[in-house]
Amino acid sequence: MSFLTINNLSLAFGEVNVLKELSLSIEEGELVTLLGPSGCGKSTLLRSIAGLVDPDNGSIVIDDKEVISMNPKDREVGMVFQSYALFPNLTVEDNIAFGLRMKKLNKTEIEKKVKSMIDLVGLNGKERSYPRELSGGQQQRAALARALVVEPKVLLLDEPLSALDAQIRARLQNQIRDIQQKLGITMVFVTHDQEEAMAISDRIFLMNNGEIAQSGSPVEIYTRPNSEFVARFMGHYNVLHADELQQIVGFDAGFQGSLFGIRPEAFTETNIHGDGIEVTGEVQKVSLLGNVVRYQLKTGTQHFSAEHLHRSQEYTKSGDVKTLYLSKEDVIPLT
Amino acid sequence: MKKKTNGFLWLTATPFFVLIIGFLFLPFIAMIISSFKKNGEAGFSLFNYTEVFTNKFYLQAIGNSVLISFTASLIGILVAVFVAYSFTKFSPKVQERLLLLANMTSNFAGVPLAFAYIVLLGTSGLFTILFNELSIGFLQGFNLYSWFGLVIIYIYFQIPLAIMLLYPIYLGIEKRWKEAATLLGASPLQFWLKIGIPFILPGIAGTFSILFANAMGAYATAYALVGSNFNLLPIRIGALISGDIFAQPELGSALAVFLGVSMIIALLINEWLMRLVRRDLA
Amino acid sequence: MKENMRTHKIIVTITFLYLFIPLLATFLYSLSTTWNKTILPEGLTLKWFVDLYNDPRFIDALWRTIQLTGGTMIVSILIMVPAIFAITVYAPKYEKWLQTIVLFPYAMPGVVAAVGLLSIYSKSGIPMVIVLAGSYFVLILPFMYQGVRNSLRTVNAKTLVEAAELLGASRSTAFWKVIVPNITPGIMVSSLLSFSVLFGEFVLANILVGGSFETIQIYLYRRLRESGHLSSAIVVSYFLLLLVLSWIMVRFSRRGTLKLKKKEPIV
Ligand SMILES: Nc1ncnc2c1ncn2[C@@H]1O[C@H](COP(=O)(O)OP(=O)(O)O)[C@@H](O)[C@H]1O
Ligand SMILES: [Mg+2]
Repeated sequence: MSFLTINNLSLAFGEVNVLKELSLSIEEGELVTLLGPSGCGKSTLLRSIAGLVDPDNGSIVIDDKEVISMNPKDREVGMVFQSYALFPNLTVEDNIAFGLRMKKLNKTEIEKKVKSMIDLVGLNGKERSYPRELSGGQQQRAALARALVVEPKVLLLDEPLSALDAQIRARLQNQIRDIQQKLGITMVFVTHDQEEAMAISDRIFLMNNGEIAQSGSPVEIYTRPNSEFVARFMGHYNVLHADELQQIVGFDAGFQGSLFGIRPEAFTETNIHGDGIEVTGEVQKVSLLGNVVRYQLKTGTQHFSAEHLHRSQEYTKSGDVKTLYLSKEDVIPLT
Repeated sequence: MKKKTNGFLWLTATPFFVLIIGFLFLPFIAMIISSFKKNGEAGFSLFNYTEVFTNKFYLQAIGNSVLISFTASLIGILVAVFVAYSFTKFSPKVQERLLLLANMTSNFAGVPLAFAYIVLLGTSGLFTILFNELSIGFLQGFNLYSWFGLVIIYIYFQIPLAIMLLYPIYLGIEKRWKEAATLLGASPLQFWLKIGIPFILPGIAGTFSILFANAMGAYATAYALVGSNFNLLPIRIGALISGDIFAQPELGSALAVFLGVSMIIALLINEWLMRLVRRDLA
Repeated sequence: MKENMRTHKIIVTITFLYLFIPLLATFLYSLSTTWNKTILPEGLTLKWFVDLYNDPRFIDALWRTIQLTGGTMIVSILIMVPAIFAITVYAPKYEKWLQTIVLFPYAMPGVVAAVGLLSIYSKSGIPMVIVLAGSYFVLILPFMYQGVRNSLRTVNAKTLVEAAELLGASRSTAFWKVIVPNITPGIMVSSLLSFSVLFGEFVLANILVGGSFETIQIYLYRRLRESGHLSSAIVVSYFLLLLVLSWIMVRFSRRGTLKLKKKEPIV
């Protein structure tokens, strides 16, 4: 039995069905992300788990207990908000202690727990500061500490890093992952950033329009998308119809299906395994993206893109004709 | 760049500041100077201030003004604390309409308001008749032209003003705070005691000081109701400067300076408290 | 979250009942034949409105008020808008001063302002109506400043002006051709607000000019005890005007502008 199980959860705001018979299950100690474009219902799902919105139908079981009709505070879930939602009139340590005080723990125990939590998230020296005196990253860590200190069974994080700039974001991703593994806590992390999802999760649930489009490990989702939506969302996949694919790989390749996805880096410059399909294309455009070079190529009337690691000795220009190789298993049938 | 701008800047700023100096600063200074002059004498003296702070009549006017302003502001804010909160519970569209209505009624003050209350509660007012017909005991003796009646009217114009000032402060309370507190095990009451009320308290106090200043300076309502018969500070000032025979503009100036200073103090307190709120919001 | 919406509805309803009862009573009173002994009016009539609008004294008072407030508004707009623009864009370091000055009128209730104005201008030979207009200029300064300042900020005036000047426009062309069209809606809102404040102004008018220049408010005050029904017709007309002004203001202002406006004590 999984630690958190959601079954056939449905929720509508007025006429709009935001969650559509959604089911998923999460194991204890896992960090999973809910990934998807904005407006697809991630926050609503998270808030349903926390009990901040009432689903119309379905069940939510946490640690073998049906929680769907429980009050938020009895569900033993913690939540970290995108806007941090720190209490402005309380200092960092009072913010962190808030949940413990509500539980009426004794003073020394509260002090001990708050202290160790401040050590854990690295906010030493900021105990007496007010939220407004902290940087965004520090506020985020205070919010994390406040949610963690009451030892919830599941910690829910709703786009906790999206208001921060790239460098701090990367650092906090690592820190959250470290803390999660150290405490062995179950986390559900919401994000709309696929790179962030791939960087931190054990598993990804990719959502679209109130449904789970695909779930699996980051590698599975990235390399084996099952639909056009997933392929387009996870990277710069070339999404091709059967006739378009045939223009590129030739008529004898024998692929079954009507829609296919090919990752741009699947086109290699050398025939590594010896069984690659030879593809020739005229270079239309070359863009340098840091350590990667992207080529826009054209075969017949069909455009596609390919990416390689950037090596400075290359001099490919627009107008050159390039020969590339493509493994059969890198042509992924999509629905 | 800078040098070239001067022409346009001077041309536009000069008449602007001439008017401000002429109609704001000079009168203000003249008033202060006049308050230090004894009627008909050339030199400076503290006579007027001594008079203000020793004459029972003026002390009473100050006391009355403070008392009535304080009472009306207190009741006004107590009501508005609940009403403004209720406002925030409606959909944004409805909230906008409610604010528009509040804004409109807050324009209903002074002479027209006094008149409306005469129609309603005056000697042959509609409610007065109604109360008498229905024999509602304690209301039968109600007299609009009394202190009690004046407080009732003052409360009326304080409520919409208080609502409009408190409403944005409530908007500062984020929904997420409440949700976070709930998840951490706080009841609604605990949320309000630990987070909500401490957060809005400076704003409430600041609003109170604006209401108080507003009532302290109010002249038209009381004047329209009973002319110069109420012994209130603004009424006294008005009588001292515009009475033909008994005009004592210097004494009026001293009272006016006193009133102005007390308003500035009230508004400074408001500024200070508001800054506290803003620091929290930042 | 489930909150008891019913309670809030009741609170709001009672509040507005309380706030509107004086208005409704006045409205009914202005339409009733006689109403001083019975619970309900004895009959309904438009007589009081007809009387009012046929009273030359009322028409004169209305006309004076329109001249006074309208004239003050036009002069104020012509003087304030370019000045506030020039200071915020070309002399931003003096803005702080301006912001402080603009707060002064808040601390000066009508009576206090009147004392100062009388003590300096009562024997100067300047007609008191002009002094009154000058004091109105100061009275509406906070509203106009707020409105103009916010509009300038919204349209990013500084950048606009720089762009216009780089394209060869002179300072005053930049102001009239680029800034003014963009901030007109904002100015309209604060002008209407100022207009409704001035229209309801009684204290300064009564003390500075009194009966020698009878405005609507003074007319109302003087009529108060003569005829209640006629007075209520005035009050109703006044309130209808406020209603129209508020409505126009909302049309002009974008969502939410109104609620941010600081209220001037006008009593
Ligand atoms: N309280 C609400 N009332 C009405 N519609 C809502 C409410 N909350 C969210 N929605 C709608 O539900 C959909 C999903 O929202 P949300 O769960 O916040 O998406 P996400 O977090 O994935 O961006 C959106 O279309 C949003 O407009
Ligand atoms: Mg969201």
